[in-house]
Amino acid sequence: MIPAKRRQGHRGFFALFEHLDSTIDACKALRAAGHKGFRAYAPLPEHHLLEEGLALKHSPVRVFTLAGAMTGAATGFAFTTWTSMDWPLVTGGKPIFSIPAYVVIAFECAILFGALSTVIGLFINAGLPNLRRMVAYHPECSNGSFGVYVTAPAARADTVKEILEGFKPAELREDPEGFDV
Amino acid sequence: MTTAELRQQRGTLPNPDVGTYEAVNRDVLKVLSRPGKGWWILFGMAATGVAVFLGSWFWQIYKGIGVSGLNAPVGWGVYITTFVFWVGIAHSGTLISAILFLFRAPWRQAIYRASEAMTVFAVMTAGLFPLIHVGRVWHAYWLIPYPNSRFLWPNFRSPLVWDVFAITTYFTVSAVFFYLGTIPDLAAARDQARGLRKKFYQIISLGWRGTDREWHHFSKAYIYLAALATPLVLSVHSVVSWDFAMAIVPGWHTTIFAPYFVAGAIFSGVGLVITLAVPMRKFFGLEDYLTVKHFEAMAKLCLLTSSIVLYAYLTEYFLAWYSGEPPERGSFWNRVFGHYWWANWIMLTCNGFVPLMLWFKRVRRSIAALFVISIFINIGMWFERFVIIVTSLSHEYEPWAWGLYRPSVVEMGILLGSFAWFGFWFLLFTRLLPPVAIAEMKEVVPPPMRGSEEAAT
Amino acid sequence: MSDGLKRRDFFKVLGAGGAGATVAGCSTGEIERLIPYVTPPEEITPGVATWYASTCGECSSGCGVRVRTREGRAVMIEGNPDHPVSRGGLCSRGVSALQGLYNPDRLATPLRAGPNGFEPISWDEASTLLAERLSAGGRPLFLTGTRGPTEQMLLGELAGSLNGQHVIHDALDDAALREAVNIAFGVSTLPRYDIAAARFLVSFGADFLETWISPVTFAADFASMHGVDHGEKGRFVFVGPRLSLTGQNADEWIPAQAGSEAAIALALAGELVRRGGDAGPYSDMVARYSLEDAAEAAGVEAEALGALADHFAAGDALALGPGLAGQHASATAANLAVLILNVAAGSLGRTMHVDAAPDTAASAYGAIGDAIAAMEAGEYGVAVVSGTNPAYSLPSGSGFGEAFAGVPFKVAFATALDETSSLADLVLPDAHPLESWGDSMPAPGTYAVRQPAMRPLPMFDSRPMADVLIDTARRMGNDLGAGTFHEYLRGAFDAWLTQNGEAAGVVGDPNALWRTALRTGSVSYADATPSIDALQSPTTAVSFDTPDIEGDGELTLLVYPSPRFGDGAHANRPWLQELPDPVSKIMWHSWVEMNPATVERLGLREGDIVTVATAAGSVEVPVWAYPGIREDAVAIAMGGGHTDYGQYANGNGVNPMGLLNGATDAHSGAVALVSTRATVTATGAWRRLTTNEGSEVQDDRNVTPAVALAALGHAAGEADHEAEGGHGQLRELQEGGGFRTVDTEGRAEDFPLPGSDFGTYGEDHPRWAMAMDLDKCTGCGACITACQAENNIPWVGEMQATMGREMHWMRLERYYETVDASHSGPVDIRFLPMLCQHCNNAPCEPVCPVFAAYHTPDGLNAQAYNRCVGTRYCANNCPYKVRVFNWYRYTREIPEPMNWQFNPDVTVRDNGVMEKCTFCVQRIREAGNRAAVEGREVRDGEVYTACQSVCPSAVITFGNIKDHDSQVAALAGDERTYRVLDALINTQPAVHYLKKVTFHDVEGGGH
Repeated sequence: MIPAKRRQGHRGFFALFEHLDSTIDACKALRAAGHKGFRAYAPLPEHHLLEEGLALKHSPVRVFTLAGAMTGAATGFAFTTWTSMDWPLVTGGKPIFSIPAYVVIAFECAILFGALSTVIGLFINAGLPNLRRMVAYHPECSNGSFGVYVTAPAARADTVKEILEGFKPAELREDPEGFDV
Repeated sequence: MTTAELRQQRGTLPNPDVGTYEAVNRDVLKVLSRPGKGWWILFGMAATGVAVFLGSWFWQIYKGIGVSGLNAPVGWGVYITTFVFWVGIAHSGTLISAILFLFRAPWRQAIYRASEAMTVFAVMTAGLFPLIHVGRVWHAYWLIPYPNSRFLWPNFRSPLVWDVFAITTYFTVSAVFFYLGTIPDLAAARDQARGLRKKFYQIISLGWRGTDREWHHFSKAYIYLAALATPLVLSVHSVVSWDFAMAIVPGWHTTIFAPYFVAGAIFSGVGLVITLAVPMRKFFGLEDYLTVKHFEAMAKLCLLTSSIVLYAYLTEYFLAWYSGEPPERGSFWNRVFGHYWWANWIMLTCNGFVPLMLWFKRVRRSIAALFVISIFINIGMWFERFVIIVTSLSHEYEPWAWGLYRPSVVEMGILLGSFAWFGFWFLLFTRLLPPVAIAEMKEVVPPPMRGSEEAAT
Repeated sequence: MSDGLKRRDFFKVLGAGGAGATVAGCSTGEIERLIPYVTPPEEITPGVATWYASTCGECSSGCGVRVRTREGRAVMIEGNPDHPVSRGGLCSRGVSALQGLYNPDRLATPLRAGPNGFEPISWDEASTLLAERLSAGGRPLFLTGTRGPTEQMLLGELAGSLNGQHVIHDALDDAALREAVNIAFGVSTLPRYDIAAARFLVSFGADFLETWISPVTFAADFASMHGVDHGEKGRFVFVGPRLSLTGQNADEWIPAQAGSEAAIALALAGELVRRGGDAGPYSDMVARYSLEDAAEAAGVEAEALGALADHFAAGDALALGPGLAGQHASATAANLAVLILNVAAGSLGRTMHVDAAPDTAASAYGAIGDAIAAMEAGEYGVAVVSGTNPAYSLPSGSGFGEAFAGVPFKVAFATALDETSSLADLVLPDAHPLESWGDSMPAPGTYAVRQPAMRPLPMFDSRPMADVLIDTARRMGNDLGAGTFHEYLRGAFDAWLTQNGEAAGVVGDPNALWRTALRTGSVSYADATPSIDALQSPTTAVSFDTPDIEGDGELTLLVYPSPRFGDGAHANRPWLQELPDPVSKIMWHSWVEMNPATVERLGLREGDIVTVATAAGSVEVPVWAYPGIREDAVAIAMGGGHTDYGQYANGNGVNPMGLLNGATDAHSGAVALVSTRATVTATGAWRRLTTNEGSEVQDDRNVTPAVALAALGHAAGEADHEAEGGHGQLRELQEGGGFRTVDTEGRAEDFPLPGSDFGTYGEDHPRWAMAMDLDKCTGCGACITACQAENNIPWVGEMQATMGREMHWMRLERYYETVDASHSGPVDIRFLPMLCQHCNNAPCEPVCPVFAAYHTPDGLNAQAYNRCVGTRYCANNCPYKVRVFNWYRYTREIPEPMNWQFNPDVTVRDNGVMEKCTFCVQRIREAGNRAAVEGREVRDGEVYTACQSVCPSAVITFGNIKDHDSQVAALAGDERTYRVLDALINTQPAVHYLKKVTFHDVEGGGH
């Protein structure tokens, strides 16, 4: 595994919350305080956390999906057309260029390419697979608890700690150096 | 939104009978612990069945496809029947995971992982059958478009090539969909496992941490995949049905085949989900997750799709009569009263009449009754394909060429072996991958709130 | 093949020419000049076929054949169109000569019976032994089947010089007829029938399209008599208890009881005499017979016989029969009665001719009975048997086996062991007719030569019997004036020329004439034999009473010669075993035919294995329900149940001769095949019949419509058009999208046919097509065997065939329209030869995922075997079900040297591959290449398919339908033309069928 990327002159704080609302509130407070370099952990895709807490909006994955699907459709249609024109063989008195048949292939290719492209989009955007050593992580985050990890320059580190402590984390861990978020 | 509102909203959902996130992790991951004796017995049976399956197949490759009972005019028999059967089975998984996801059906979470796994394994099984049934399996790769030395490509006008594309796409997309949905749960398993298992989950969970960025793109990607999988699932069985509908065989050549097959596929798939979920629930102690409410919902889906297929059967009979064409009429007359009348009546009974019992709420809410009915559905849907394929081919245009077909021992070995093959993978799945979607279950479990504790204290 | 000689070496030897001495098995070391049919004889060109005209040696008819050889091996036999008698036709048995030639059961060396069975010995030893025993062994008996005239002369000469006797026994010889002619006209011969000249034909049970006298010739004559021509056709009535294949071709069936032929024939003759006909010295006698009495005796309606009399009175009538299938204890009387009827009807000299010269092939049939008696009496010291199998083909009651065993020294010349030769003390491997010289006189005025098409097969150390006999005679000090039979034959030819050449109008250099005979297969000459024009007064007292049928019960046992195996001599040939019987469509095994009503009355069902028992014996055989047999009769074909004949014959079916008690015809001594009643009892067992029959009726599909004769020429055209879905126009997708309209009209002036240019790659190509005149098709099945021989089609064996996996590219469908054994009336059984229709819109093509099935530019529906993956989708989607699949490695299981017969121009298909009729594409390409080399177009008729090359009835026409002047285009525009299922599914087949024409009205006014 690749060692995690450290950020010199920063400090990192990992707060483990037992409650969803505390997590959301902590995130809101951090944002209000102008902190951008933090991330939240959750055991489920909690939309309130993502939308209210972190104010995440559009995901570019959809562009990948659309581009993939359109490429697939075009490829499927072009390929079937080209191969049948390249060596025209008559079967069953049907036209060499049999549109309805090729639509089926084009459709399946659209789905296949679209799906694979979506996965690629997800991996690129979400940074998966993530082979870094998991330093800023808590196993409870896949179980019943939520987490917030903040990296802050040494100067503002104490304020961050204060904000986090204000939401009564079940556990607050401090790293001497911060990690990239 | 306040936390109180949040809770209220969650409370309206048909929650499983579990209270906390931790309980979900505990209950589901418990399944992955050391397998018991029962599992080993089942696994042994499945492995034996797989040996029979492969043995029969290799014997057939060695001797020739003649070891089957196929002949002229019945060139397709048990193999294609079973192929369509398994493709149909595969559909419920995608239906539950993708379509019900898009429609926000609240009861899908508990069953979708198992049914999605079923999809993948069913496609894996189905995909073998075209290979099993061709005369020269060693040349089967010629159906794949690859640049050969003469630049002769496949015939894209052939529904079988559509099949290749549809089945390959379906397998790829459903496998990806299945795997993608499992990643957060694999991370959960990783966080609780030790030793070798931990290494295994570490690798296959791709370093999932559940960060906001991961969840954000994940949920979007999941929606898009579901949006792609939905037309896919409808298209795949349509394409499979076109294997028949595009042919001019009386009894095959009808326009209703695509919707009729899709409904039948969902019907059979949900049937098998019930068949599998009942013992799973019992053996793994998942009663709190797979509740009667879930079974009732599935029973309603069965009832709906059963009505559609019964309607399709009756439409076929009517149209055969209404067409006025002797071959068409003869084909259906032969179906109902000919040599294979029993197969047709098994089909009608199992698919059309037995599910009518689901109109009764008491039946829908009885796990035992549902289990029995689901077995009927499985049998009936296999026979539906048998009826379509064998009776139609045995009684085509040329009266002189009518013939009969009787499956051989090898075919039966491969048919039964295919269940073992499916079971083999499914049993492995129940021990290696979380059989219930942990992260998604948590969506229907009330989230831990400060308020709730305050209220409790 | 033996270890010592590789195939390549074999060819080297062949190519060297004149190296015959090094080829194992050439008896004389002499090189004979074989004159090929078309190409110069100097050498064999690898890859180019050499054709030899010859004469078929499979039965006594002596049809002309062309043998196609490749690299010195015979690969195909076709009918010889230059032959004046058979005129290009051939039967399945004739084609299957190839499987007699390459039969793995052929003898490899001479055998001598020892204490432990047969021991191989050398030819030297064998010849010495034979000469010794013949000189010292007492009076010899030569017992042979029908031989060519010169070979017969040789045998007679040899037998005479040894004070022996030459007896001919041919189980299919119509001795009763010959005897009847002898009584009626005073000359022992068979009449010559001119069926083509008749307008009205009655068969009293004679199976003239199958086994009787010369079926190929008769089939050709029948086609021209019975096939519709300019709105006219001859009528054919079948009288007899069972519809044979011949009977199935009848327009009307009078289901008369077995044995009632004489009564009917004489009553008809009497009626004709009453109406002014003349039956010569029999006029008074026949006048005593009334139609009512005859109807009573036959169990049929008097009105039906009255109608027959009307037709006879109208002239140009001909009565045939009763033939072998109706041969009973009064067979000669029955034949005589039919001859009298012909005379009374004025047919003598018009449709029936009797030559004043005795039949050369004649050796009174009864001689076998005398020979048996003489053998029993110990009169013979040596018996030489060849080409006949009396131990099998005589009834068990005849006593042949015991008598033969009692002869001190028995010699058999045989290509393979059979039931008779395995009783011999010395067995000498005879050369196959395709390997040896011979001749035939199939009709007065025709002399045909049989030349070997190839050298004897190296793995069988065989020698032609005639050569061995000449050699043996020489060893015994008797020079027959020739060193080999070839010389003997030439000597006889030259002698005949010297003696009769001038009178016969054959003059010229004998060598040139001989070469012409070899090149064309025959010499025609003016025959001066006078014809007889009147009956002579009877010198023999003949009783015309209905013969007694022995035994209890109500079911008369009819034993009849098999259309496939004859008397059983052809049973060891898998092509014939797997050829569906033309009547029952059953392969490989025997069956007993019973009327469905009888089956029901006995509480049986089809496939039940029953015991058929008579006083003489019993057999266990499955039931086949057949509406074409009287309710009071059961029938079993000859030819099954071999015990000692070879791997393909042994154990298949039953031999009904074991059920016969040995009764013979009073006058000719012929075996009475209808002589006993039988009881039928169920055994409780059932089997699936090995048949390719799916449905015996058309079930409203109308795949083989017919048109009434009266409807031809007017209303029929429109009615048909309507019936075929005459929408006028169809909309079709066309290349590049969009629709265009095409006419569904099918007239000659509209060709190329609608859609025929569609999918032809946009260039000018021919469009190969076929026309089949169903009004001429007799359903004999020769086409199937020819196709199998030409295209390397394997047989699959009984088990596989039972599963429905037989590989024929062509099948003969047989649908019952009107068949009723309970009373006289019209019979309508339709034959439909079904092969790949080479549709323009072929449903099989677009479903193939790998382009194994595709359309060639010249309109063929091609199948690229090597590309086939074996999905069988094409076969499912073929509405005609003409695609066959290789379920196993059938071709690889064909034993040496049977696979030597494979046509090198056609691929041998392997396991897992779909195959089908190609319209003999190898022949199309060969003709195309030849035309290209010669810088011309392919001529109409230049390409002919294998099925076409044997069809005795000239049903099949092949050619380029785009060529307006071609025969096939003309036929495709005939008013009777239709295409199967085309109106329903718009497949636009290339095979055009011309509807059968019936005398009775058919449903739907013409379809």
